[in-house]
Order: sequence, then structure tokens, then C-alpha cells
Amino acid sequence: MADIIVPGETVAKAGGRPVGNTYREGDSMRSAVVGLYKEGDDRIIPLQGPYLPAIGDFVIGVVQDVRFTSYTMNINSPYNGSLSSKATRDELKLGDIISAVVAAIDESKNITLEEPRRLIGGEIVSISSVKVPRVIGKKNSMVNMIIDSTKSEVQVGRNGRIWIKGGNSALAAMAILKIETEAHTSGLTDRINAFLKAEMEKNNKV
Amino acid sequence: MMGGKTDRKLIVNGKRLDGRGLDDMRPLTIEAHVLNKADGSAYVEWGKNKVLAAVYGPRECVPRHDSDPYRAVVRCRYSMAPFCSLEEHGRAGPNRRAIELSKVIREAFQNVVITELFPKTAIDIFIEILQSDGGTRCAGLVAASVALADAGIPMRDLVSAISVGKADGQIVVDLFKDEDNFGESDVPIAFAHRNNDILLFQMDGKLTKDEVKTALEKAKNAAVKIHALQVEALKKVYERQAQQNVQ
Amino acid sequence: MVDILNEIKRDYVRDVVKRGKRIDERKFDEYRKITVETGIIPNAEGSAKVKLGNSQVLVGVKLDIGIPYKDRPTEGIFSTSSELLPLASPTFEPGPPSAQSIELARVVDRGIRSSGAIDMNSLFIEENKVWAIFTDVYALDHDGNLIDAAALAGMAALLSCRMPKYEDGKIIRTESSGKLPVSEKVATCTFAKINGSIVLDPSFDEEVAMDCRLTLSTTPTHLCASQKGGSGAITEKELLDCLDTAFRKGSELRALLKD
Repeated sequence: MADIIVPGETVAKAGGRPVGNTYREGDSMRSAVVGLYKEGDDRIIPLQGPYLPAIGDFVIGVVQDVRFTSYTMNINSPYNGSLSSKATRDELKLGDIISAVVAAIDESKNITLEEPRRLIGGEIVSISSVKVPRVIGKKNSMVNMIIDSTKSEVQVGRNGRIWIKGGNSALAAMAILKIETEAHTSGLTDRINAFLKAEMEKNNKV
Repeated sequence: MMGGKTDRKLIVNGKRLDGRGLDDMRPLTIEAHVLNKADGSAYVEWGKNKVLAAVYGPRECVPRHDSDPYRAVVRCRYSMAPFCSLEEHGRAGPNRRAIELSKVIREAFQNVVITELFPKTAIDIFIEILQSDGGTRCAGLVAASVALADAGIPMRDLVSAISVGKADGQIVVDLFKDEDNFGESDVPIAFAHRNNDILLFQMDGKLTKDEVKTALEKAKNAAVKIHALQVEALKKVYERQAQQNVQ
Repeated sequence: MVDILNEIKRDYVRDVVKRGKRIDERKFDEYRKITVETGIIPNAEGSAKVKLGNSQVLVGVKLDIGIPYKDRPTEGIFSTSSELLPLASPTFEPGPPSAQSIELARVVDRGIRSSGAIDMNSLFIEENKVWAIFTDVYALDHDGNLIDAAALAGMAALLSCRMPKYEDGKIIRTESSGKLPVSEKVATCTFAKINGSIVLDPSFDEEVAMDCRLTLSTTPTHLCASQKGGSGAITEKELLDCLDTAFRKGSELRALLKD
């Protein structure tokens, strides 16, 4: 079972393999966040934190500003994403929701997005971006389990925004929020599985 | 700050006016993650002090000309509610003392927040003193430190702070308001836990060098206890959430 | 504001300090040349101008009749404010006092007030009437360490301050009833931590390069006020070493203050 560690706590010797979310000081590596860590892990899993885009990330954004040749997208990050108007056939409006992929990040943290797709209808569930890997699961196991049970369309943005449409979308949303609060516990996959089954049975009985 | 002369005894038979021993801290409770909108938050009750701290960020820095192309700017607003004092009604808006405290508190956090990770953004710290009884800047620092960690902002360390001072000729730990006003010295200090680096240090009153040494020693010991409470508060957030979901 | 030139200066200063020197070739515990001139603004009851290297600070002291604070009915009022005049530096903008300006005023204030140099009860006139001392710091030229220059000028201005005559409910400023009683000469020493070393009396370029600063106000026997500024950290050992130096340097500074 992983332990919760706090900023400043020593994690490992500085010489060893680098551990994510730590910083180096003297001859030790110390945690920079409140998070979960087991000896041998390659990163501390933060229990909270801002979303910092990485190239290749699939994100769900909201049009925040319409400019002459580009759109400014709010991607739930301290940095906005920029989408060239050439990249999309549709004309986007303020407030439109799209999915996209992070194509480039320059030194000034200007984020370029590509492959935009408008998401129409459905609903957006916002969770902390650090919990997204748990919602996806190993090889998509967790999100597929939700899709199979609820028959909803689910698109998980790495930036903590998740789009759900159709099927039992309310149940899908509940499952995702449950994963968010219990992300740091073990046996989660089984518990979510049981939760989905139980809820689906309740619905069937109605 | 430094008050008038008084015939009042602050220490009688080794006990202070509120019954504490010289090295005793007032009861301190810390709760993390108490607000919904803020990225991080904490609520501290320390003696009669009631302090709420919230953190927003890293977020877009406005106005733009405040931003730094190489790192996040840390901003801090220490503010006292008009109803916080037992005595007079305070005026709204920051007074000169609040501006000075906002600055020195900001500087303490600028030391530990790893700002290079978020260029051009702002990390905003808000400290609201809801009820005051001496040592509010330390209570604010303790709360803000937890709020920053709660927000997941990468930092090198938690910051712990305590006011030590002199009353009736003796070095005492954790001054409350009367001791601050009528005592002979007040020394608020903030430490980085891992190496006892001093991140905030202010002093008024009169101390000899030996008294300064004793004060520092006692402050360090108190800071260790405070740090433990800060860690416990942060860990509790996850235990609390886990419990809510056990059906 | 990020000034590109400052970044270059910063690296240069830090490099020089690392090699055990300062860019103006002073010793680590050496003050720049200091001159103290009093009585330069005769309209003010007390005034002094201090030149500390190329920094210049003028302090004016005015006395007025004030109403004492309710919880201190027999005590006078002592209030300090500061103006970092835009003419003193391209880095000072006009407008309401900045945090830096407010901090300067409050640090100077604490040094004088904490030491007990002014006996506040001696300012009592009669019921609901006390003398109020207004000390105004005017920074004229900023080449670093305005705190020490201001504190020294403040002390000098108070030591040379005349008490106006108070008769029949009126202040007669053209006549004096003696000097303001001042019982201590407070010495204020500011240190800068640069790249692991501590230097006394940082110049402007050294302030740009510093990690943090520590101001210590002392009487011959006691520390009476202190302020750490800046985001760097200091260790306990550094603090105590600075305190030793501050006591030592205090006598040099006091020697510049005439009675």
C-alpha cells in the first residue's frame, strides 16, 4: 500500500532513477507535492494539482475567445490552447465544446491544438486532472467497464474534462466521480464494477 | 506591537495569564480543503485566532505586466476582517500593517514554491483573519502553507511559523494578544521544516543575544509540533474522502 | 519588472562575491562612506540628511498636538512614513506607497520605538492633549540600503529636534522649550545574503543580486528590532553572526550621531 507523503519529505537518494514530482536537493530527492508513493515507484502520484499539457494529450476544451485567425481554448490549465481556424471546417462559437490533441508547446508555454472535433449535446464532468489515469485504467480497462455497463459514449480528456453522451449517462457520471474520490485506494476496479452492476440492477427492477 | 508600560504581571508562579507554561502553545487545530471553489484551502484555529487561507493558481496572471516570463509570480493578500478584534471595529481595506505582512508572508512562500514550473502565471494566496488574538501572521502562514499543498502546487517544503517573545523577563512561546501588547518583545519566525531555514523573521522589543538564542531554540521546537499538525491535516483530507464513500 | 540589464549585473555581482570580494572592493563588513548633516530644513523641528555611499535620504520631523489613543491616554504619538520619491530611482513610480515604501517606514519606526529612545509619557501635555511626533522619510537617491540611511537620518533628526513652545493652547513654533528628550541612539544595520555570503550595507547592484536581507536595530546591549526581507532564507548561525556584527558596527554608527 502506498503511503501519503508531503512536500519536503525525502523519497530517495539523488543518484538513483529520477522520480516524478520530486526535486533534487543536495544528495536527496524530496517530494514536491502531497501524494502517494511506494518505494520503487517512478513517480509520486499527486493527490491534487494543476493540469500541465503535454504533447499528444487528448483534451476537451471550451472556446473562450474567437480571434481573427485562431480560437483561444480554455483547457482547464493555467495555459490556454490555441486552435488555428484553418484546422477546423466548422466555425466555432464562444462556449462551444471541442475535443483536440496537443500538437506543440513552445518555451513560452503557448499551446497549439489540432484535430478538433465538436462535441454536441451530452454533458461534461470535471474532475481533477491528476485522477484521469485512474478513470482510464490500465489499457482502458476502467473506462471500458463504464462504457460497457452504461452504454454511454465517454471521451476522457487528459485535462480532467470528461464528455458523456447517451446511455445511462447519469450512472457513468456517478461512477467517474466515485473514482475521483477513491482514486488513491486499492481494489477500486472491483468496487466500481460492483457499483455499476448494483446500480444497473436497480434500474432494471424499476 | 510594542505597547505601553503596565504594572500588570504577565507571569505568576510560572504560569501565564491564560494558564499556560512558558513553553506551551495554545491549542492549534488545522483543517485542509475547506472551500470548494478555491484550488486549495485551510482553516486554522489557534487559541482564539480563527484564520482562513485560500489559494488560486497557477492561473493566468492579470494584469499582464505583473507576470514574469520565466516563473510564476506569487502574490499574497493578508487581510483582517473588520469584526476580528475584541476591541474596535476595524476599517475595511488593507492598512499599512497588512501590506507589510502581505509582503513578508509572500516572501516566505516565494522561497519554497517551485515557481519555474509555471512561467507567466500567478499563484494567489489569500489570508483572511476572521478573529484575532495575537500571532495572526503566524497563523496565516501556517494556514496558507497547508492551502498551497492542498492545491497541489509543487513546493520544496511546508512552512511552519510561531511567535516567541519575552514577558516579565522570560522567554515565552506563542504570544497571545495581551502578551504581544504588554510584553517586552515579540518575535514572529517562520521555518522551512526540512532544514530550519528561516523564511520570515521580525522582531520588536528588547532582547540580549542570549535571549535571541533561547528564543530561536524554543521557536524551532514549536515549529516541529506545528509541522506535524499541518501534515496530519493534509493526510486527513484523503481519509475523510475515503470514508464518505464507504457505503 | 524584469530588467534585462539587471540580470547581467546580478550574475556579475554574485560571481565576484563567490570569489570573496565585492564589486566596489569593500570588505564584507564595511560600510560605504557615511555623512550625517542635521538641521538642514529649519522649518521642521528636526531634520537630517544622510549620505550612505551614493544613497541619500532626508528625514524631517514635525511636532503637532494630537489626541492620545484611548488605551494609552498618557502617551504621545510617534508615527513614521516614507516616500520613495520617483526622482530617487527609475524603479520608483509615482502613486500610493508601495509595499517596499511601507516596509521601510515601519522598520525605521520599530527600531526607534522598540528601543525606548523616546519616552512616550514625556510627551503628555494635559488631558486629551499630547505631542505627536511625525517622522517623514524622503528617499532622494537610491543606490541601495535605504533602510540604514533612513534609520540613521531618523535618529539624527530626532536627536537634534527642538520642542516648540506650547502656551495657552497654542503652539509657538518660533520659540523653543528645549530639545526633544531622546534617551538611546539606535543603530540599524542591514545585511544582504548573496550567493551564500553575508555582506553589510548592500549597494543597489548588490540588492539586485541578493537572495534576501536582514535588518537588525540595536542599542549597545540589546537587539530591539529586526526584519528579514526578500525570499531567500537565512540560517540560525547567519542570524547570530549578523547580530554580533551589528553590535560591533553599532558603535561606529553611534559615533556619527551628535548629541
